[in-house]
Amino acid sequence: MAEETESYLYKLEAVLEEGRLLTVVVIAKTDERAFTSAENNLLRHTIVPPRIKEMSLVEKKPFGRQGVGYVVETSTFT
Amino acid sequence: MAERKQWKWAADPSLNKMEFTKLEKDGLDVIETIVNTYSKEGVSSIESSDMDRFKWAGIYQQRPKNGHFMMRVRIPGGILSSEQARVLANIAEDCGRDLVDVTTRQAVQFHWLTVESLADIFDRLASAGLSSFEACGDCPRQIMGNPLAGIDPHEVLDTRPIVAELEKFFLLNRDFSNLPRKYKISLSANIHNAAHAQINDLAFTPAKKVIAGEEVIGFHVWVGGGLSAKPYLAKQLDVFVRPEEVVKVAAGVTTLFRDFGYRQKRTHARLKFLVADWGPEKFKEQLMELIGELEPGGIDLTSGWNGGYFYGIHEQRQAGLYYAGLSVPVGRMNAGELTELARLADEYGDGTIGTCNTQNVLIRNIPEAKVAAFRNEPMIVNRFKLQPNTFVGYAVSCTGTEYCNLAIVETKERMRSLAQFLDDTVVLETPLRIHMIGCPNSCGQRQIADIGLQGSLVKTSNGMVEAFDIYVGGTLEEPQFNRKLNARITVDRLGPFLAQLITLYKADRQEGEPYWRYVERVGLSHIQAQVDSILQPA
Repeated sequence: MAEETESYLYKLEAVLEEGRLLTVVVIAKTDERAFTSAENNLLRHTIVPPRIKEMSLVEKKPFGRQGVGYVVETSTFT
Repeated sequence: MAERKQWKWAADPSLNKMEFTKLEKDGLDVIETIVNTYSKEGVSSIESSDMDRFKWAGIYQQRPKNGHFMMRVRIPGGILSSEQARVLANIAEDCGRDLVDVTTRQAVQFHWLTVESLADIFDRLASAGLSSFEACGDCPRQIMGNPLAGIDPHEVLDTRPIVAELEKFFLLNRDFSNLPRKYKISLSANIHNAAHAQINDLAFTPAKKVIAGEEVIGFHVWVGGGLSAKPYLAKQLDVFVRPEEVVKVAAGVTTLFRDFGYRQKRTHARLKFLVADWGPEKFKEQLMELIGELEPGGIDLTSGWNGGYFYGIHEQRQAGLYYAGLSVPVGRMNAGELTELARLADEYGDGTIGTCNTQNVLIRNIPEAKVAAFRNEPMIVNRFKLQPNTFVGYAVSCTGTEYCNLAIVETKERMRSLAQFLDDTVVLETPLRIHMIGCPNSCGQRQIADIGLQGSLVKTSNGMVEAFDIYVGGTLEEPQFNRKLNARITVDRLGPFLAQLITLYKADRQEGEPYWRYVERVGLSHIQAQVDSILQPA
């Protein structure tokens, strides 16, 4: 049996210096790679690189299961 | 393999994937496969679909997934004999790297088991009247109860025979081995809610009612409780259940869950979702349609909540006999210590040991003449203390990254050392319950803690650092889950931060006011202001 080759769906939170909280969801095999992927996705998401005050990994789920995901709560839409 | 049941939901094409796995081969059938095949041919022979079914044998893969397993053993009602304890200790020593964990549902867990050892462990457990079967999986799991049943001055009925009946009825019962999801039962006649009724799928709590001019002691019934990422407090049904009706009612509730519970999405399958949709009135009607009329609810005999704690030497219901509530910090011990507990139970008590949902233990039936010598036993003085310090004594922790695949941070040793730090730093004479969990699932029951700590990882200039989100004000006294503060504290600051937060509470509280009630009185915004002031740069 191979050791730790499973991928996970990670949920990370990035607090920007301007005060905004962004949730980033990435697939990775390790916690370290999850952080790197999240930062890369944030860079890809913006023209000016975001000034990140704090980046945290808050949850991970086995990626192999169909339908695995997260609900990301944002602002109220009226 | 037993004859396959023809379940009525089998034709539903919208079932989730796990439902098809369960229909293809019942979870209980994996036990035979483990014994006849996997334990002989090794870990490489395990089919991936059977890995999911291992839960029905009470077994999970542990972290890292390199061929080692965790096993959970049922301790019905949280009472075991010294002989059973020795069998558990021997298994831990021979197969589980000397590790024994008491869980928050009164079960016992081993780690580091190999698949080759499992058949032998099943036999050893069976020889002592124990079982790991259905301790995990979509089936009726460990039945929680009052570990003082039969000796408790605060119980209105000895529930041991009822727990035994429930265990006999449900264990390996193929009518109920394919439920939509995990299913947790709690039954206690302790008037201080010792078995945490509101966080179980089905719970029985003490009640009385005058029926035909005669006062009957029985139970009230609660359904749909559960924690995990979406916590929900059980709802009470307006029924009164006589002791002899408990198994019938449990079978009825479980049948409703089996036949009407949701099987399309595993994240929406626990009984709480059906209860939330139906409401307690419809649930009661459906139950009575299935099993017949029940008496309307009587007088509730529950009074407050003891948190599942029993520290110290206390008088029993029987004159001249005492029980001893002992602290097992974060529920972890080694095989030698469990063997020593068995000796203490034999030498001083009647040979029975209680496991508590606070990860602690107790020794039952100690004659008055032996109490003084018991207090002086080195194990009691130095390790499993009768009066532990406040924070070590009221600390609960899940397994954490040490063995759990879903955890983000280490918790067991972290919680133990954090509690030790707080005991060294803050003098607090009253209990303050701190629960630490390593992910949003709730094996450490974070939501009912005075202070709940939920792990995360924060990236810093020095790399990844473990951190914790802070939740405050949970209780089952006036049932409410704790609420999140806006604070994520890295582990290097966690101890000093909590010491300051608790010191503010100590200075500000009213006499005898527990932390959860203090939070309720001053409000979350007040606590948040305290947090902000602590975190403000000097």
